[in-house]
Amino acid sequence: MKKIILDNDIPVILKNNKNTPRHALCFYFKIEEPESKAGLYTILNRLFLQGTKNRSSEKLAQELDENAIDCYSEMKHDFVRFKLQCLNEDFEKGLEILSDIILNSTFDEFDKEVIKLKGEIQAELDEPKSKAMDGFYKNVYENHPYGHTYTKILEDIDYITKDQVIDAYKKLITNSSKVISVVGDFDEENVKSLLKKYFSSIHNTDTKSNIPYANLKETKLIKIEKEDASQAQIIQGWHVPTIFDKDYPAIMVMNTMLGSSGLSSRLFLELRDKKGLAYVVRSSYEVYDKAALFNVYIATEPKNIKTSLEGFKIELDKIKNIPVSSEELENAKNNLIGKRQFFMETNLQQASMIAFYEDKGLGCDYEEKLINLIKSVTIEDVQRVANLCIKDPYVLTVLAPKEYLAQI
Amino acid sequence: MEKTIKKEIKYPYLTRPVEIYERECGHKIVLAHKEGGLVNISSWVKTGSINENDENNGISHFLEHLMFKGTHKHKAGYFDKTLESKGAIVNAATWKDYTFYYVTLPQGPDGAYFKEAIELHADMMLDPVIPEDEIGPAFTLGDDNVSQKRERHVVIEEIRMRQDQPWTKVYNATNANMYCEHPYKRDVIGFPETIASISRETILDYYKKHYTPNNITTIVVGDFNHEEVLEKVIKEFDFKGRENYQNPQHKIDKPVNEPKYIELRGKINTGFVITGWLGPVACDVKENIGLEIVNVITGEGQSSRMYQNLIEKVNEPVFNVVTTDFYNFKDGANFFVQANFKAEKKDEALALIKNEMQKVLSGDITQQEFNKAKKKLKARFAESSETVSDIAENIGYYMTVCNNLDLVETYVETLDAYTIDELNETVQKYLSLDNAVTAVLLPEG
Repeated sequence: MKKIILDNDIPVILKNNKNTPRHALCFYFKIEEPESKAGLYTILNRLFLQGTKNRSSEKLAQELDENAIDCYSEMKHDFVRFKLQCLNEDFEKGLEILSDIILNSTFDEFDKEVIKLKGEIQAELDEPKSKAMDGFYKNVYENHPYGHTYTKILEDIDYITKDQVIDAYKKLITNSSKVISVVGDFDEENVKSLLKKYFSSIHNTDTKSNIPYANLKETKLIKIEKEDASQAQIIQGWHVPTIFDKDYPAIMVMNTMLGSSGLSSRLFLELRDKKGLAYVVRSSYEVYDKAALFNVYIATEPKNIKTSLEGFKIELDKIKNIPVSSEELENAKNNLIGKRQFFMETNLQQASMIAFYEDKGLGCDYEEKLINLIKSVTIEDVQRVANLCIKDPYVLTVLAPKEYLAQI
Repeated sequence: MEKTIKKEIKYPYLTRPVEIYERECGHKIVLAHKEGGLVNISSWVKTGSINENDENNGISHFLEHLMFKGTHKHKAGYFDKTLESKGAIVNAATWKDYTFYYVTLPQGPDGAYFKEAIELHADMMLDPVIPEDEIGPAFTLGDDNVSQKRERHVVIEEIRMRQDQPWTKVYNATNANMYCEHPYKRDVIGFPETIASISRETILDYYKKHYTPNNITTIVVGDFNHEEVLEKVIKEFDFKGRENYQNPQHKIDKPVNEPKYIELRGKINTGFVITGWLGPVACDVKENIGLEIVNVITGEGQSSRMYQNLIEKVNEPVFNVVTTDFYNFKDGANFFVQANFKAEKKDEALALIKNEMQKVLSGDITQQEFNKAKKKLKARFAESSETVSDIAENIGYYMTVCNNLDLVETYVETLDAYTIDELNETVQKYLSLDNAVTAVLLPEG
């Protein structure tokens, strides 16, 4: 792995993987300004594939597909990132199209894209799980851009204008810190000259995000009625320290042990294997720049709601009050460290991860440091972070038929 | 070492040939080389809902769950805990033609994790106990006084999860109506009533009948010494003279001869539709390529016809989502158009889908569209050679569903030689509107 800085100050991380058929590239743009209306960056992000000064949306889609090039953008609260993946021989073609998308998007399809987005959201909200998650995130990040979920977007979207989108686009291109990563079987000089050729007009600026820190002031119970639901959807979540905190590795270990190692986690064993309450039960730890969440989730027959919540409480209290055994700690660490390899198997996964760390200011080689930090997590650390993370306030969201919601 | 018949296959985008070994007992072992620190070990069993009937529908999938519940050597939980504590991902899946079990993990110091994974995987495949207390007592559905809720309830929760998914509901209705006799008509997961009552004995008998050497292929993908690993797999997979079983041949169903329409209602706000056709048997690679191409052209990605014509280029929106899909099965593929639409515009939505299919039937696919689809199918091979688990799944499919890994070697050649005339013939043969089954899910009221 090698880091270079282009003449336009954009850092580029290169990783050469011999004998791989496809190149992968990631291009990060950090979002500086929080969106004033829910959906502004979502619409901007979607419009990147809807036509440029040189290509209509149809032509763009056709050209990408004809060359079997995967090229798309993603918006994840703190950044917009472009991903490009194609056969080695098509890399320059891919870069040329990507630069056209980044530099020359017209946003002319704004009205149509708004209609399409609304329709897709309505379809998605017919899935009970999506509906429950929507209710959870909207409330756990209330009055914060991270809480701009589907239903929030539906409320705001008709008040967003094309000019606002163009304005947000201009700021993103001219005023944002940027990172590029390229992974594949390439000639370094060639990649450098191609990046110069296609991206020299974009400059890196050392801009800090103005998205505020998020916090949760009070415990909330959110009930969502769904009359014909066969399963209740239950999500409980807490605001916890994020990736920049010294406790990040310890929270990862605790999360692994409690509910994300696969078939051997505590929640899986106790609530699924022993009590037969669910097919899916898990915990998760989601980190963003200005906040992070620790969540537990279960989908269960509605009459099991009470038993499931009690089951959660028993497991959460246990990890807070009883020191874990050294064997369980080692197992969780090894699970976590071993599984890191899965997130880095393909060139695109590698490109994505190294750019992610570089964008966060942790350094593109953070993965190695993280593994050492995970190794040094102690029994006391796990108990301490469990007590730090799992305490009031929290948000509990339950979706179920009305008669089952009354008893909660 | 035990005698085996060895065969080599050139697999596109892999740096070395894939090796297939057939043992005298009929068990097949496939070794594939992929650089990197991860290895994938999987065993594919030639059973799924294809071997089920109305009485035992769901048994293949239930058995898959119960295979994780311990062996005579190791009690329930040991397998998951031991391997997951080494960073493994362990799981399994059941489909119409097959059930497969896999472990993907880092090799570990001197390949120690890898070796242990082969031992534990083989132990699980060959010696499951399926203990009564892990299955849980049989019960009557709706009985609130069940004390021991165990794996039966887990699978019933999985069924409930699927009942809440609108796409799954519509898919099941379409699928069930596409067949008359063939077992493919049944949903792989089965019904809660069956899962609540099926006995341990029935499950064990099913295991003994179907998990035989000739019906199992074990696949190992990664960077390792082939001779050592072959020897290890043979040693661990000791079938102890287990008798073989030949799956019965099923009569291939004829498609419906006039359009069939089913309408369901639910507490939703949008409309869902899936229209399905029966396609060619899996070993007919050429015809499958034909329908794969139609799938790419009509409904895959933003450049597809359905997306462009039905979403991008309409004045008044009718559809929220419209795509096509193509599934390969041993006794005949399925081609689907699936869409989500504004509930009040059902008739218009159905007419628009029909119209797009009529155009394809009239032979209007252009050379440019044809070339695009071919390029995409080739790139898919490159894509599926990037991870040990994707390579294993592709090999597993060809070994289990097609009975023939040679088809991988000749796939690109067959694809290159395929002509637009052949495509039009395949379209005529399978995608007639008279042969289509349509299920729709609409809001109540």
